[in-house]
Amino acid sequence: MFDAAFLVRRQAPGPLLSGACYAGGLFVGLAISAILLVQAGVPADALVDEFLVATFLTSDGLSQTLTAALPLVLVGLASAVAMRVRFWNIGIEGQLWLGAVAATWVALGGIGPEPLRLPLMLVLGAVVGAAWIALPLWLKLKWGVNEVISTLLLGSIAFLLVQHLLFGVWRDPATNFPVTAAFPEASRFAATGWGQLHYGFLLVGAVTAALWYLLDYTRVGFYADAVGHNIKTARAAGLPVGATVTGLVLLSGALSGLAGVTIIAGTEHRLSQVVGNGYLFSAIVVAYVARAKPVWVLVVALALGAVFTAGNVLKVFYSISEGMIVLVQGTVLISILMAQFFSTYALSRPS
Amino acid sequence: MDFLIGWLAIIPSYATPLLLASLGLIICERAGVLNLGAEGLMAVGAMTGAIIVLSGGNPWAALGGGAIAAAALALLFSLATVVKRADHTLSGLAIVAIGLGVTGVLGRPYVQKTFRGIETLGDLFGIDRGTVFGRIVAVQDPVTSALPLIVFALWWWLQKTRSGLRLTAVGENPAAADVAGIDIQLTQLAAVLASGVLCGLAGAYLSVATSHVWVEGMVAARGWVAIALVIFARWNPARALLGALLFGAADALVPRLQAIGADFPVYLTMTAPYILTLGVLVLSSLRGKTSGEPGFLGLVYLRQDKH
Repeated sequence: MFDAAFLVRRQAPGPLLSGACYAGGLFVGLAISAILLVQAGVPADALVDEFLVATFLTSDGLSQTLTAALPLVLVGLASAVAMRVRFWNIGIEGQLWLGAVAATWVALGGIGPEPLRLPLMLVLGAVVGAAWIALPLWLKLKWGVNEVISTLLLGSIAFLLVQHLLFGVWRDPATNFPVTAAFPEASRFAATGWGQLHYGFLLVGAVTAALWYLLDYTRVGFYADAVGHNIKTARAAGLPVGATVTGLVLLSGALSGLAGVTIIAGTEHRLSQVVGNGYLFSAIVVAYVARAKPVWVLVVALALGAVFTAGNVLKVFYSISEGMIVLVQGTVLISILMAQFFSTYALSRPS
Repeated sequence: MDFLIGWLAIIPSYATPLLLASLGLIICERAGVLNLGAEGLMAVGAMTGAIIVLSGGNPWAALGGGAIAAAALALLFSLATVVKRADHTLSGLAIVAIGLGVTGVLGRPYVQKTFRGIETLGDLFGIDRGTVFGRIVAVQDPVTSALPLIVFALWWWLQKTRSGLRLTAVGENPAAADVAGIDIQLTQLAAVLASGVLCGLAGAYLSVATSHVWVEGMVAARGWVAIALVIFARWNPARALLGALLFGAADALVPRLQAIGADFPVYLTMTAPYILTLGVLVLSSLRGKTSGEPGFLGLVYLRQDKH
C-alpha cells in the first residue's frame, strides 16, 4: 500500500541527514506542543515568557529549573545506561519509590551516626533500587522473561508498598495525612541559599561525569555498544556480554533509587504519595532524546526541568492540568521517532 | 458463602475490560505489531465514554465513542509503526504518555462526577435476586454476557477463515505473506485499529459500565496486565478468556474483602493481581519456543531486507 517495494534501508545515513531529521522531529514535536498549550488556554505571547524567560533568564526561575532537573538527570541516566544494552527499564518509578522508602527508613529511624546519615541514605537508596531491578534482570537472563512487563509490574507493586507504609506505620501523627513526618536536618541536603537549589547538585554532577567517563572512555562503553547493536555478534566475539548487561542494568536501578533519595532529601524532606509520579516517561524521553549519551542527558534534563518549572506556573495561573507535561513529552517523543524514518530509509525507484 | 457468591458475581465485570483489551492486542500482535500503548488507549476510551454520558449521551453510544476515540489514537500509533516503521516499544510508550496526558488535560472538568451507567441484566429482565443463580446473573451486564460469543467469533475468525489466517501469516512470516500477495501494511494498519477499538471499548467499559465515574489513573495498569495476559494466553482468544477470569478474580478480591468489612492490609493485598501476572509471565516464558509468539512480533518488515 505504501510502496514498500521502493523503500530501502540506508547503509549509513550521514550526520547532516540524521541531524536534520532529528532537529525536524524535535521542532515539529515542540510546535505541536505549543499549539496544544495555546488550545488549552495559555496566551501565545506568554509561551516564550513562561518557557524561556521565567525558567532560564531569571535568577529564581533558573534555580527552580536546576532543582527540578536534578532527579531528571538521574532517571535520564538510569534509562540511558539500560537503553545502551537494549534492556527496557520501564520500572524506573518503582526503583525510585523504593530508593526513597529505604532513605525514609534511615531518616525516620535515625539509623547510624548523624554525619553519616545522608551518605547512608544515598547508598542504601541506590542498593535497594538496584535490588528491585535485579529480579527482572535475572528472570530475563535466565528464562527470557520480557522485562518491559516485569519491570513495570514491579513498579506498580513498589507504589502499593509505599501506600501501605504511608497509610500505616509512617502516617504523619501530627496531621494524620498519608505523608511521613518531616526529616531532621541531618537527613537533608544542605541548601545553597540560591532559591530551592541544594547541594545534591554536586552529587548529580559527579555521577554524570563518572558515567560520561565510563561510557565514552572505558571498555565498558565499548562493550555496551557492541551488546546494544548486536548481542549475538558480541557474544560470538567473546565479549563479556552477561557481565556488561548485569552491571549496567543494576546501575540503572541504582541511579533510579538515587533519584528517589535526591527528591526527598533535597526538596520534599518527607515521603508522600506524589514525589515519584511521572518520572518514568520523563526518564525515557530524556534518555531517548539525548541518544543515551550522559552529557546530552544533562542538557535534555535541564530543558525538561524548565518544562516542569513552567508547568507548575501554568498550573497555577492558567489551571493547566499536570497531564499536559506528560502529553508534551509523548508528543515530542513520537514526533522524533517518526522523523527518524527519513534518515533510516530511502526511496529507490528501480528502473 | 455470602462472600463467595458476591465474589463470583463481580468477577466477570473485572475480567471484561482485561479480556476486551487482550483480544484487541491478540489481533494486533498476530499481525506482528507489538502494541504497548494499551494503557493509554484504555484511558482515552474510559474518559471519552464518561464525557459522553455526562454530556447526556446514551451509555451504549458512550461505549462506541470510547472505542472510536481510542482508535484515533491507535491510528497515530500505526502511522508511527506501520507507515514510518518506528520502533514499536518506544512508539507504544509514547502512545501511553499521550493517552494519559490527553485524558489528564481534557478530562479534568469531568473528574469525580458520577453518572448512571449501563443497566444490568437484573434491571433489564427483572431477574429474581432471591436465588443464588439470580444473585449472580442479575448483576451482569449485556457486554459481559456477549463476551463468550465474541471470544468464539474471534477464535473462529483467526483459525478458520481466510482473512484470519492471512492476518496470522503477516505476523509469522511477512516475507512469505508478501509473496502470497497479502498487503502487509494494510493488514497491520487494520489490526492496529482493531486493537484501538477493543482497548477503547475496554476503557469505556471501565468508566461507563463498572465505575460510573471518570478519575485520572483509573485504568491502573490494567493495560499492562492485558499485555501480559496475551503472553499467558499464547496469543489464543480462548485461553485469554480463561486468563481474564483468573486475573479478574484476583482483582475483585480487594473490593469484596472490603465490602464484608474484613481487616486486612489493603494495599498489600492489592499487589496480588500484579504478583499473579508476574508469576504467570514467568511460567509462560519457561515454555520458550512453544510460547506461541508470532515469529515477527515487534520487528520491521522491509521487502528489500533479507529475512
